[in-house]
Amino acid sequence: MKKILLLLFVLSFSFSSCEKDDICDANTVTTPRLVITFYDYNNASAEKNVTNLSIFGDGMEEAVTYNGSTLFNGSTVSIPLKVDADMTTFHFILNYGNANTALVNEDIIQFNYERENIFVSRACGFKTNFLLDPTTPFVHSDAATPDLKWMQYVVVTNSNITNENETHLAIYF
Amino acid sequence: MKHTLRYIFSSLLFLSLSFAHAQETKTVTKDTVSEGVVPKKTAVTKTTATTPKTDSIVPPVKKDRYGLHLGIDLFKLSRSFYDKDYTGLELVGDYRLSKKHYLAAEVGNENKTTDDERVNFTTKGSYLKVGFDYNGYENWLDMENIISIGLRYGFSTFNQQLNTYRIYNTDQYFGETPALTSGQKYNGLTASWIEVVAGMKAKVFNNVFLGFSIRFNRLISNKQPSGFENLYIPGFNRTYNGDFGVGFNYTVTYFVPIFKKVVKPAEKKTAKK
Repeated sequence: MKKILLLLFVLSFSFSSCEKDDICDANTVTTPRLVITFYDYNNASAEKNVTNLSIFGDGMEEAVTYNGSTLFNGSTVSIPLKVDADMTTFHFILNYGNANTALVNEDIIQFNYERENIFVSRACGFKTNFLLDPTTPFVHSDAATPDLKWMQYVVVTNSNITNENETHLAIYF
Repeated sequence: MKHTLRYIFSSLLFLSLSFAHAQETKTVTKDTVSEGVVPKKTAVTKTTATTPKTDSIVPPVKKDRYGLHLGIDLFKLSRSFYDKDYTGLELVGDYRLSKKHYLAAEVGNENKTTDDERVNFTTKGSYLKVGFDYNGYENWLDMENIISIGLRYGFSTFNQQLNTYRIYNTDQYFGETPALTSGQKYNGLTASWIEVVAGMKAKVFNNVFLGFSIRFNRLISNKQPSGFENLYIPGFNRTYNGDFGVGFNYTVTYFVPIFKKVVKPAEKKTAKK
């Protein structure tokens, strides 16, 4: 009987100590980012790397950080959409910070979408999935000071943004 | 606040256990005395060692009282006063079927608002638990303490209301958004589970008992709402990722005696050791 009591005592303590397990696992699929892939305009099937691309959210002081850097070189980038608005505008600046200002080119894309908040778990709370507007998924425009659009062709490849495993938007330049 | 409470209750548990320890050692020492007394045939030692209770009758007749324990969970009751997010009541009862077996039941109602980091929701509902307890404690003379293990089948019917929630966003570029208000209600939810109960009841005075039990629960069925989850089930308590849960209660019960049964001394001797 004494052993049983001791066991109960230890059990009750061990349970009180291991209750705090409310950390959202990094592998959980939560709010997805918009995945953009860049292609060569002259060779539509080939991906093309951008050079020193910086992406600024409208009205933001700092650029979006992707893979630890605000200057992006590569063919695929993911950017966050606002979860508290049905519209997010980004400034895509190519060759950002380049001394030769002739190379710097800014394009603006405004994304229009619907949001759906979905329960994930106690630890993570909810996530937001996005559905790009079927009629006007985005509005592509030149910078305030016109410098010609560097993006030749922009197309939605997947309007349903629920994960980051596939490309949602293709940009040809 | 939560942690201090946990420590208070843990220390209460510890105290109650050490109390039980003390009692047990007492019975053991007394028992050796009684064992030493019973086989002896000399009338001289008998009269000196035993109390005047066994003055005229040679074999002391031991009678077990049978009846109902009826009571209330003190933890839920007191929590309703100090925790503004909680109102709950649990009535407990058991009926002695045989020397060691008790038919046991708990019935309760809870209204709890859980404020987690990312979700805040209110659960309202009632529950019923039915099962049995097995008393493994060998009482000496007319003691009526219980140290038991038991099983329960629990059933709960409840509803949930999601009050506020937060969006989890790994990319904090636009910053953490404030909690969103929902107000969405999920009605008609049910759950059932099995509980393994380890408990004790100690007679404090007359027919009043203080009891404590801890419970390990395992869900059998759980009707989840679409778009949300049953993160708290009345009677079952907090749910974890699996179907496992824990609970406890701290009860005060009143014993209503109904009849008495004579205990056969032979049975008592074999049961010992």
